[in-house]
Amino acid sequence: MPLWFARGLRRGIVTTHYPARPDPSAACLPTPPAFRTGMIDRQLAGELVAAGPSQALHRDGDVLVFDVSRCTACGRCQEVAPLAVTPSGEFELAGTSQAAFVKKIGLVLEAGQ
Amino acid sequence: MSAAADGEAALAERLRQRVASQFGRSLHIRTLDTGSCAVCEQEIRLLSAPHYDLHRLGFFLTPAPRHADLLMVTGPMIRAFDVAARKTYEAMPGPKLVVATGACALGGVYPADAFVHGTVGEILPVDVWIPGCPPSPLALLQGLLVAVDRLAEKVSGLSFTADGADS
Repeated sequence: MPLWFARGLRRGIVTTHYPARPDPSAACLPTPPAFRTGMIDRQLAGELVAAGPSQALHRDGDVLVFDVSRCTACGRCQEVAPLAVTPSGEFELAGTSQAAFVKKIGLVLEAGQ
Repeated sequence: MSAAADGEAALAERLRQRVASQFGRSLHIRTLDTGSCAVCEQEIRLLSAPHYDLHRLGFFLTPAPRHADLLMVTGPMIRAFDVAARKTYEAMPGPKLVVATGACALGGVYPADAFVHGTVGEILPVDVWIPGCPPSPLALLQGLLVAVDRLAEKVSGLSFTADGADS
């Protein structure tokens, strides 16, 4: 019996864990945006919604609703407001329900509202 | 009502344990393209390349739905594909999992109209959703491991706000 086969039987390990170490290429991946809540008002929210080609963003009253599952990480909202919108760096985004993907971002209200 | 909810939770827990014990180290995947632009397929193809090495994790791609435990669906689910999608799903032996892959399959790119359903969930019971346009092979691996309960999903804990506040 080859030695490696006996070793495999002894240890009983057939598959490995994930990940063995952080993957360096992950830093280069396009990722969905993260929003700086103190900098987005109603007008900017409207511009962000208009810039997106997918149905990921829409405004619901004083809340910007971001559906991560529908985001294509195109980066157009980051072009509209580079200071207020930055890449989140998150790419391991699998979820078991679609409700878990919907994120609500509060908007800054103008004085008197 | 609460007794029924408890029974449902216990059933879900039993199913979760059964999926983990049956598929944790050996899962066969059939891919289904329902009108995707083929970039998701390119990323899925990369999974079996040495860089990502799908097989080390106990996942295998199979061409036959009858050999498959998991259906990996890409594309916006065009209506012309309804019958083929249902036949593929019915041909798989149970217990079976469905993974919707990519922004099209999750409803982000094509709204429902006369040609597409817009989301895979309209036709098939989806267990895991993997966003991305396309999802990178790393994201696909994480999604598959979430499907067999070897990793916990983390998207529900993320806020996607740069300063960590939610409002």
